Amino acid sequence: MPSNDPIVDFANAAAAELGADAITLGEDVLGRYGEHTLPGADVRPGAVAYPDSTEAVQTLVRLANRFRVQLYPISNGQNIGLGTRSPIRPGQVVVDMGRRMNRILEVNETLGYCVLEPGVSFRAMHDELRRRESKLMISPTAGPSQGSILANALDKGGGSGAYADHFGMSCGMEVVLGNGDVIRTGDGSLTGSSHPNWHVSKYSFGPTLDGLFSQSNFGIVTRMGMWLMPRPPHIEPFFFTFPDDEDLGEIVERIRPLKLSNFVPTLVRATNDLYLLSSAATHPEYAANGGRRALSDEGRAALRRQYGLGSWTVSGAVYGASRAAVQPQIDRIAQHFLASGKGRQIPMEEAEDIGPLHIAINSNTGVPTDSELKMLGWRPGGGAIWLSAGSPVAGDIVNALQAQARRICQDHGLEYLLSNVCGARFARAIHAIIYNREDPDEAARADACYRALGKLFADRGIFVGRAPTMYHGFHQAQRMPEVVRACASVKSALDPNGVIAPGKYGIE
Amino acid sequence: MPKTITIHRQESVRAAAESCVHFGFCTAVCPTYVLDGEELDSPRGRIALAREMLDSNDAPSPAAVRHLDRCLSCLSCETTCAAGVSYHAIIDGAREHIEKAKVRPLTQRLLRTALARLLTTPTLLRPAAAMGRLLRGALGRLGGPLGALASLSAAPALAALAPRTVAAPQPPANPTRRVALLDGCAQSVLGAEINASATRLLTRVGIEVVSVPGVQCCGALELHMGRREAATRHMEQAVRSWSAALEAGHIDSIISTTSGCGSVIKRYEELLSDRPALSAQVRRVVEATQDITQIAAGLPLTATGAALRLAVAYHDSCSLKHGLKIERPPRRALGKLGIEVRDIAESHLCCGSAGTYNILEPAISDRLGQRKAAHASASQPDVIAAGNMGCLVQISRYTPVPVAHTVQLLDWATGGPPPRGLDNFQPPPPLAADAPTPAATPVPTTAGSGDLLW
Repeated sequence: MPSNDPIVDFANAAAAELGADAITLGEDVLGRYGEHTLPGADVRPGAVAYPDSTEAVQTLVRLANRFRVQLYPISNGQNIGLGTRSPIRPGQVVVDMGRRMNRILEVNETLGYCVLEPGVSFRAMHDELRRRESKLMISPTAGPSQGSILANALDKGGGSGAYADHFGMSCGMEVVLGNGDVIRTGDGSLTGSSHPNWHVSKYSFGPTLDGLFSQSNFGIVTRMGMWLMPRPPHIEPFFFTFPDDEDLGEIVERIRPLKLSNFVPTLVRATNDLYLLSSAATHPEYAANGGRRALSDEGRAALRRQYGLGSWTVSGAVYGASRAAVQPQIDRIAQHFLASGKGRQIPMEEAEDIGPLHIAINSNTGVPTDSELKMLGWRPGGGAIWLSAGSPVAGDIVNALQAQARRICQDHGLEYLLSNVCGARFARAIHAIIYNREDPDEAARADACYRALGKLFADRGIFVGRAPTMYHGFHQAQRMPEVVRACASVKSALDPNGVIAPGKYGIE
Repeated sequence: MPKTITIHRQESVRAAAESCVHFGFCTAVCPTYVLDGEELDSPRGRIALAREMLDSNDAPSPAAVRHLDRCLSCLSCETTCAAGVSYHAIIDGAREHIEKAKVRPLTQRLLRTALARLLTTPTLLRPAAAMGRLLRGALGRLGGPLGALASLSAAPALAALAPRTVAAPQPPANPTRRVALLDGCAQSVLGAEINASATRLLTRVGIEVVSVPGVQCCGALELHMGRREAATRHMEQAVRSWSAALEAGHIDSIISTTSGCGSVIKRYEELLSDRPALSAQVRRVVEATQDITQIAAGLPLTATGAALRLAVAYHDSCSLKHGLKIERPPRRALGKLGIEVRDIAESHLCCGSAGTYNILEPAISDRLGQRKAAHASASQPDVIAAGNMGCLVQISRYTPVPVAHTVQLLDWATGGPPPRGLDNFQPPPPLAADAPTPAATPVPTTAGSGDLLW
């Protein structure tokens, strides 16, 4: 018998078609899925569904259209600092694909790719390649290791190594649209059952649709191809550290030619002191000042001395046949970075004894790690917001931005934690705002800090990349209205009843 | 209902529970949550149950007891927790509270008492193990904990780890060091070959193994069962004995071959914090205790070639990986002797042994054991190695691949006898004459395949 609650009717219909264990209305579960780390109230879903196949996802979409219920698809729900697994709006039904759609569908050793369901984590893929004694390696993030490879790529996340552009390394998707259709993108769109080019070619007949499904709500991606790099015989990480905040400009100037020429095949990170050290230490002055002020300069300096690191630490890696074979490259890079006389090389033997540098060692050598996320304990109370802005790889621009952003964080009584992930032309500036979510004043300051940083970057013509769910509307309002209307038009074409995550990335 | 655990400890348990901020990283690495996706069988869910239970004046609910009992205490959650929650303090405190509340049915309480007594008293365990072997068939038909005991008594590892008839080596004439070898109470009966191997290994490099009288049990097993008072008695007894031997200069270290015990000894300062009179002795013991793999890489060991290129699937015991944070030393020690160490999938997940867990929660333990054994066997290794006897017994139940303690392999590679099941091992030929050896380049960054063509 129908109830007066469409969620309950939806859940009953889903249970009838997919089985009782495919959906839950359990109070405990809904509470947990509503939790996140952002400075706002928890966002409790209406139900949580656990599909086990593309067909099951299709069924959920069909039922959502029938009962006019909104879905919020997630993979492994490890999107910490960006919304975790809570939906955009209360009452949306979380479609948790990580629970039962976590199969590695194919590993093509010859062509170097894999085909994954949404729940395959970096750890699982790493372990599977080890098990197969594969010559391929993954490009892990700095954590969490249980995060979804597919979701990270779709959310335009980045990793380590030469294949760090995860969305760029994706190729060929299967997508359930909001209207219930299932499509294969790229060469997979050919009718028939054989598609040898699906996961090797991005440039098939017609428009490249794949981009539509990154950072959007136009469909639910249920499988995707990811390219994998052959593991080099030897990977040699390198580290340099520089003493002063203003050194960032010169560092970035020195990174650019190394990346433009591909002399260094991995992305190169220029990470500030507190971004690194917060993974090993807690805020030493928090108890004394109640979290109302940012760590003092003296406190920062003391931490840097304790770990032997400067204000900025540069990390990357080179590939070769052996350690001896790559040594000339390392020497050349050292000569390049140390030319100003300000920096210091951290030899590998020393780096291995500095806990915060293990993150870069592991991730650059293809090993998933969780170490970086220890930074979330820098302040108590479990609050974290990630802000991903960026800039051209130009020292004057990057340096000016870091000075202004640093001041904004200090003005809000919060620490400035930044890692610049540098490619040849663009440097992603990953800011971590760590705060006490249980302290209303501190949470309000964190919220204001995020918005001030977002405005700073937008005023200088710089947009964010990945964004926390509670700020999707804020950022969408920064865009030209024509683009907002274009997104809405695509949405209404592919998802006419708006059943897939309305509001995600600001798209209604 | 009166509060049943010491007030200051209850406060610290509550503080630890309060520090959980629900990031949720722990769920994905919790063995029981990974199996069934049940919120209350995740660390977060259990912390909520423990907090509710400790704040209540009512007896622990059956649901709280059930879900807290299902925790393996593997501490995988603690390794991944970004908020630094001391989960071990929470689960130990919650179990102590349940135990003291006496809410379990009488039969369960009797069984738990018997198990704790039996497994921590070698003089009882020895005849009980013999009787168990005789009654294996009848007990096996009973199912439940008794059936699990019967099944465990048939584990191939027990035969593989049984003592040999050969005499222990003579102590070195001029020892460079004197150490006590921590003899786990159950291991001394069920896995005597492990410490026999350790003794041979240490003697070979001039270290004398000294017996310290008065140490019966480290208290780990009882602690994990919530039997805090009995555990504390054993801990105090051990501390007094070892500390006296250290102070008198009879020994300079306590070497552990059973990481389940070693990981608890390393927590003695916290566990015995309400015994201030013992604090200096406790600190002395804690500082002197090391896992055998921590010292092995620094010993002047010479490989005989007997175990050269042996393919070892190395299982990280939870007590080593999560409790003691020791991952590299065993790999380094084996690698230095020319043994090929292979990591296994899901190395963060428990094998299901977990002290008495495979007796008291046999259904979950069985699933975890099968999963672990499948991963460990996947690369077709010559042997599966671990640093804790319980893991070896558990894994051996689900795979035909031989198992061995890490120290047995170190002993064999340097002149000792081969572990049982490896008697016919012949070192395979090297891959190619000009291939670089793995030891020539850093372990974490260089592949060992010798493939220079990518």
